[in-house]
Amino acid sequence: MNGKRANSAMPGGPLGRIADWWFLPAPAERLAAVRILVGTFALCWVCGRLMETYAVAQLGRSHWMPTGVIDILGAPLPPALVLVIAFVTCVLIVCFTLGVQYRYTAPLAAAGVLWTLSYRNSFGMIFHTENLLVLHMIALACAPAADAWAIDRAPERPPEAGYGWILKLLAAVTAATYLMAGIAKLRIAGVAWLDGEQLRNQIAVDNLRKALLGDSIAPLATPFLDHPSGFTVFSVMTIGLELAAPIVLFLPRLARLWALGAWGFHVGVVLLMNIWFPYPLIGLAYLPLLRAERPLAWVVARWRRWRSRGNVPPIAPG
Amino acid sequence: MRTNRVTAAVVSIALLGATLEPLFRKPWDDSFPLSTYAMFAFKQPTKLTMEYAFGVTASGERHTLTPQIVGSGEVLQALTVIARAKAQNELPRLCAQIASRVADLGRYADVTEIRIVSGTHDAVDYLVRHVEGTELPRISCKVNR
Repeated sequence: MNGKRANSAMPGGPLGRIADWWFLPAPAERLAAVRILVGTFALCWVCGRLMETYAVAQLGRSHWMPTGVIDILGAPLPPALVLVIAFVTCVLIVCFTLGVQYRYTAPLAAAGVLWTLSYRNSFGMIFHTENLLVLHMIALACAPAADAWAIDRAPERPPEAGYGWILKLLAAVTAATYLMAGIAKLRIAGVAWLDGEQLRNQIAVDNLRKALLGDSIAPLATPFLDHPSGFTVFSVMTIGLELAAPIVLFLPRLARLWALGAWGFHVGVVLLMNIWFPYPLIGLAYLPLLRAERPLAWVVARWRRWRSRGNVPPIAPG
Repeated sequence: MRTNRVTAAVVSIALLGATLEPLFRKPWDDSFPLSTYAMFAFKQPTKLTMEYAFGVTASGERHTLTPQIVGSGEVLQALTVIARAKAQNELPRLCAQIASRVADLGRYADVTEIRIVSGTHDAVDYLVRHVEGTELPRISCKVNR
């Protein structure tokens, strides 16, 4: 159905073929599953760090280094206001996740996450563990991601653009972040980055900082630092994985293999640097590449069966 | 939300374009959430000089302090807190703040003094061969309970 519409909306030729590919249909439930899982993670991430956010906000003007959207502020906000904004953001994320008035709450939730995490990153240290979460929230907020499995009533007919394009956009954003990390290494260090010495030094220095500042050092750091030849292999694998990221858009079968490799890379980062990237480690970064609706469909089916047995009064229509 | 194809195309191009925009910046010109992702790309010597705090007991035994006590649960942000305090001649105030936090924590009951030092260590020597470098005292303060 959508394929026919694509042909009629965009006549043949390269642009038409690109449009057909970009707007390839996907089930509304798949996008809804991504919304629910990403929203749940965002809720845990922002709510779980409320006090940390408050503590960082108390560092004050002497540590103030605004980044991103926070650049519009001339000075830090009162810590209590930062806490209130973060709390309201949590409420909005709940609405985002459940699909309550999604058209309004989703953009506000995405803006709240962008603001709150940018603010936390405005005190001298940018955390690269949160970028993809914010970008995915923004993308989901621009899409009809609550047309299924939501409190809002489902629309009578699907949107003209369908649901596949947003999953493709989420995958493209994921791929872009990895690609850029690879390009940055080549821009700064060139192919010399592949010899492993720079990676080894980064790992050594990062673990030293942790040791001196009272954090745990990574479990495999010391054994590998003692045998540095392994870092050449790690460096080549890292650059290869990062530069190969765009294949996720064009080769669906290889995409899942790539996702597994990227996940393994993050496990390696934990084992060698004790740096946790929870969003990819849980698999959420790669969710747009998977049939994300399947596990949730099972849960929803069980819930409906349980409800139909009369355990819960049915929700009133409307 | 009734998205048509033109809107979807505009959103797609805008968000993907924004994500890729840092490619046109200098790699060290980082931001959030539009990052250059250059954090592991820079050349880094294994010899490192940095400021850090630790506790000392009455018998002279050394206690490592967690980053939260310095001011942030994140190691690198805690490091920045100390570096900023040093740059702005606020180490005495930071030392007093750390001492005050330590005084409230039972697990540091035997810590009587906080020291902030500037240490120079070779990371591989320190971690693999357990060879410590040098430490230059910056400031110390008593833990009052």
